[in-house]
Amino acid sequence: MRKPWLFQTLTLTLARPFSSSAPSTNVAVKKVTKSNFESSLSDLRARIKECDFVAVDLEMTGVTSAPWRESFEFDRSDVRYLKVKDSVEKFAIVQVGVCPFRWDSAKGSFVSHPHNFYVFPRKELQSKDSAYEFLCQTTSMNFLARHQFDFNAWIHEGISYLSRAQEAEALQKLSSSYEDRLSNSNPEEWVEIPTGSTSDLLFTERMKIRFQEWRDGIIRHPNGVCPLEENPDSKKLQFQTIFFKMRPAVQLNGFNSHQLKLIKLVLRKHVKDLVYVRTDDENSSPQNIVVYADSEQDKFSLMKEVKDDHQKSSEAKIESSVGFRHVIDILSSEKKLIIGHNCLLDIAHICCKFVGPLPLSMGDFASFVHKVFPYIVDTKHLISASNAIQYLMKKSSKSLSSAFSLLCPKISSASQSSASNSYVKVEVETNETCETGLSCWNSGAKHEAGYDAFMTGCVFAQACSLLGIKFETNSPTIDFTRNEKLQHHINLLYPSWNSGTVINLSTGVEAPELGYKRKYPTIVFSNIVLVWGFLSKLAPKDLKDCISKVFGADSVTSVFFLDSTAALVQFSKEEFVNDFLILKDTLEKNDDAIAVLHPLAKLLEGGNTRAAGYETYKEICGASASKVLFADQAEAIGIRWKTKIDRVNEEAKDVDEYSDVKQRNERKTDKEKSNHQISYDDVLSSLRASKPLCGKHVKNT
Amino acid sequence: MEATIAAAQRQGYTSAVKQVMKTNFTSALEEIKAHINQSDFIAVSSQKTGDFFSSSSSWRRVLPIDTPEVAYLKSKVSADNFQLFQFAVCPFSIQGSKVLASPYNFHLFPRDELGLGMPSYSFSCQTSFLTSMAQEGFDFNACIYDGISYLSRVQESKAKERNPVPRMHPISSSFNPSVADSLFMGRIKSRIEHWRSACKNKDSVADGSLVKSLRKLILGDELYGSRPCMNIEVCSDRQVQLTLEIVNKIGDDLVPLVVPEKCGAPKAVRVVLTSSDEDKILLMSDIENVEDEQNLKVRGFREVIDLVSRSQKPIIAYNCLHDFTFIHSKFLAPLPPSLSEFMCSLRLVFPNILDVNHLCKEVGPLRKAKNLPATLSYLKRQFFVPIEFEIPHQADVKTEKDHGHNVLRITTLFSKLYNLLKLSSERQEPYEEQHRSIEDYTNIFHPTYTSFQESGDNENVILSMNKNRRKVSTDNIVFLWGFGDRISASELKSHLKGIHPVFSEDFDLRLVDKACSVIVFWSSGAAQALLKVMESGEMISIDLKLAGYEAYKKVCKSGLWEAGLANSLEAALAETELECDLSASSAKDSSDIYWNSELMIDLDNL
Repeated sequence: MRKPWLFQTLTLTLARPFSSSAPSTNVAVKKVTKSNFESSLSDLRARIKECDFVAVDLEMTGVTSAPWRESFEFDRSDVRYLKVKDSVEKFAIVQVGVCPFRWDSAKGSFVSHPHNFYVFPRKELQSKDSAYEFLCQTTSMNFLARHQFDFNAWIHEGISYLSRAQEAEALQKLSSSYEDRLSNSNPEEWVEIPTGSTSDLLFTERMKIRFQEWRDGIIRHPNGVCPLEENPDSKKLQFQTIFFKMRPAVQLNGFNSHQLKLIKLVLRKHVKDLVYVRTDDENSSPQNIVVYADSEQDKFSLMKEVKDDHQKSSEAKIESSVGFRHVIDILSSEKKLIIGHNCLLDIAHICCKFVGPLPLSMGDFASFVHKVFPYIVDTKHLISASNAIQYLMKKSSKSLSSAFSLLCPKISSASQSSASNSYVKVEVETNETCETGLSCWNSGAKHEAGYDAFMTGCVFAQACSLLGIKFETNSPTIDFTRNEKLQHHINLLYPSWNSGTVINLSTGVEAPELGYKRKYPTIVFSNIVLVWGFLSKLAPKDLKDCISKVFGADSVTSVFFLDSTAALVQFSKEEFVNDFLILKDTLEKNDDAIAVLHPLAKLLEGGNTRAAGYETYKEICGASASKVLFADQAEAIGIRWKTKIDRVNEEAKDVDEYSDVKQRNERKTDKEKSNHQISYDDVLSSLRASKPLCGKHVKNT
Repeated sequence: MEATIAAAQRQGYTSAVKQVMKTNFTSALEEIKAHINQSDFIAVSSQKTGDFFSSSSSWRRVLPIDTPEVAYLKSKVSADNFQLFQFAVCPFSIQGSKVLASPYNFHLFPRDELGLGMPSYSFSCQTSFLTSMAQEGFDFNACIYDGISYLSRVQESKAKERNPVPRMHPISSSFNPSVADSLFMGRIKSRIEHWRSACKNKDSVADGSLVKSLRKLILGDELYGSRPCMNIEVCSDRQVQLTLEIVNKIGDDLVPLVVPEKCGAPKAVRVVLTSSDEDKILLMSDIENVEDEQNLKVRGFREVIDLVSRSQKPIIAYNCLHDFTFIHSKFLAPLPPSLSEFMCSLRLVFPNILDVNHLCKEVGPLRKAKNLPATLSYLKRQFFVPIEFEIPHQADVKTEKDHGHNVLRITTLFSKLYNLLKLSSERQEPYEEQHRSIEDYTNIFHPTYTSFQESGDNENVILSMNKNRRKVSTDNIVFLWGFGDRISASELKSHLKGIHPVFSEDFDLRLVDKACSVIVFWSSGAAQALLKVMESGEMISIDLKLAGYEAYKKVCKSGLWEAGLANSLEAALAETELECDLSASSAKDSSDIYWNSELMIDLDNL
């Protein structure tokens, strides 16, 4: 075991939460890049094995690929998942903070090892089809820059990775190409030497003679002691016999690729017992060698040996490309308790980047995550779930830095009075004998993944103590995953900050969160209609007004603008959704005066207004394109229709309601009054009200 | 001799290009303005965060089968998705063998300076591009922390709408005030006069703070800088005109400014009182300065593009179609849906663009060279064209940074070709017919394309089959897929020969990507015949599927880039079927491509 360890007791000063500057702290965070990854990995492996829990945090190149992809209260659980999935698939990870915490009973304190990994999806394997591409959100890049993120370290020295799925695919491809080559290794192929230029012709002829001579020489001197014969015609073509896989061989140097191709063909056609081999050794540059094989069988076994070599070196290459994923593999295989703060997106990133593609539904996602990480605790949920902690937090923000400074003042501030026992002690262990010297230790700063992971772990330890889990000197190691007090907090995560729900990863059930304050009245998704493509000057109030004029004052429960081109309108009754869509469709079909003067004309102005039910919103969110404006996105995924009416519902309507629709279209002059029906009078009065639409000023005299 | 010059040039390259960041942008802008004015040509080049042109595996790169229109659509996707991190501009002039150049390399980052989600919400990066930039020692921190931001012309007008600043307004004379107008004018006039006299009297009396705030409440009295001003609410452009008229009539010491609302409509007229004529001039120039400063802040790097555009000088670039789709999308406006619209829009801003790549085709042997360094080294080996660089010493040069010297390569190449081809920049000697003018070469774009996958393991020698270019109508091109993804082009070709009599004719087949191939028939009608066979439902083979060139165009137009070409073609065909129900007759236009040869777009023919 490496020693000595330097124990550093924390005396760090942290500025108040929300301070815009990035204060550097005294927490030593180990910076891990390509150069010190191997050594850090073996070190970390041991630390993770002995630890009680591991705190994890990520920094990404962005969060939302378009403004309307942000999380809204109007997002149904499946839509919300599609947004998370889109974010994870488009953006890259830049930093992974991993911080194992171990309870040292002798000292009565936690010992932590914060690591900060720079991760860059460098393309290590020469696979043809996968173009490595990721999105950067400008504001996120700026955010990272504001917190002194080192982009050079990320791109120049970031550690690359392959997910389990990518690795399996690469290996599968390798083995199938291996089989292919084995089966094709000796085909009676029709070989034709192209009759190109005269120089090519001369060259092939000369090569034929030279190789035949060389082969004859080998046969004449079977001991392999081929005397350097005098070569009268050219000294450049002097072949030096070497040995390759115990067989006499010639190394081909100084030929261009075209010449090599010709040589290969000449040998195949004319000198059957010579084999052209291209070695692909990892340590040296590839070499082209011509080897003598004394029989067909020998030739075959030679080819097999060469291919086995190639196979091995390719496998080694794939193995070394796994890179940062080794860390995740350790966390997963050790089944350690993973701690994150508001970590659903982080966990989704980890699973997608290092395990495999995300499944299509939230339920499948939950079980997918559960298989990789059986125990996860979200500190944001933990501190909200306990009244005691909430009391301490005094209703302040649940952000990580605010929780850290409130719950762990001993760690986050300088005072070190040992009098109070209520605070859990945390130490940071640093290893002085770091090979690359001082450069790999950074003092942690906020919004740096390693330090954020450290803070998350500290918040977790303190929160556990507040929940009544005792950490005392000489007390044995605590098994958090079996602890009763923690039981009903494990695997509960927030799907997003404003979902008002909690997802249980072990069951896949999403339940409403108690005490969540909604901004909007209860959302009924079947009552919602999606409208987009209207003019950007249309304000939410205008939209509500013009719909209310048609369907009645109380018909619209809420209006929510996704962006300046799209809105979700929730009606008070489900049937209004279809009524609205049919009305819109009819108005657009009869492009007459009434349509122009109709209250809805304001919404339909510009002629590009489209509408559909909530399912279309889900469909558009699920598409992979990401245009900045919602209307452009809908167009990009190929929506050409203007109104999508749910046909099943339409047919299911009884006759009475259908006639209502007709009335609304002014085909009947029935003056039946109802709060949402329109009579001729209503239309006329609404026409008066909407007169400014025609662009004429009416003077009231 | 040549070698030493080259070495000196190489050495020169490292320190010659002036690196411009946010911190030295304002001063560099003044310098480059002067250099642009003195120069005869302006070379430009840029560094992108990614590019579908060069992603070697995908059919999204520009292929030899692409018509100019399709090549444009492919460039458009790249320009829409990726970002520019560096933009090099080099104004230069050629005097015999001497080239006077002043290269600048601007580091760009699309920072949202105004908090309006512009210039770009997000952008894509290809790791291979970032990695190769890193290998060249690119400083990403400097770029992201300290890069210059910008707004395109369209974005600027949007920003002004959303972030209005008071500005001067021209007065349009001659109108006949109505009764309502006269009433309005009278009311405003008395208000302003009252306020004006109050202000003038105020100078003598020292007011207490209470009086001041009262005055503010009652008179709408405020300060504009150190000068008193008042706001007059207006609700139409008509009222703005009336107010300006009155302010003019009342006195010369008043300066009216129009305060627009968020949506661009005027909200109020701010009247500023000046103490003297000199003070008024001072105020006017102050306002102008503020406006300029604001403009610079909003436009950022685009000021340079505007300078280049305003100079109307010939712009020299390599691979123009590609570079100018980026320039158009980042600095002018979103890219239009078709090539002709793009060319028109571009020509309004840059009337003379010269693609060095096109100029190279004039020198026979250079046709083969695939990239800029290759062209240059070939030129150096084959021709003796001495070029002497003179780069005026530029202050505060950081020697360790040597980015953006691609623009010097373009400058060198152009200067050599200029001398080699004995070009003249003006049409001043019409009698000398062999001397061709620069204008003969401008605005012709050569999309450079990458060739088909030259099978990685080099199994096939027979790659170049047709050395001479051959014109092929797009009617004779057919896409074929459904053969799996494990077959080589030659295998597929020999397989097809046995499948249907159409394939007994001579045709050429290449793999576009793993699972889709393109077939070029040499005789016209064969492709149509084949498509008809497929339509009639007769099975050539169970799995094989076919589509004509129209389907390919449709794929590119509707942006079905995500999947492999086979899947995209299927999607396009499915959509076409739907549309066919609606409109049975859609005019089908065919165009020609040069198979296995250069493509060119002549702007003047459009």
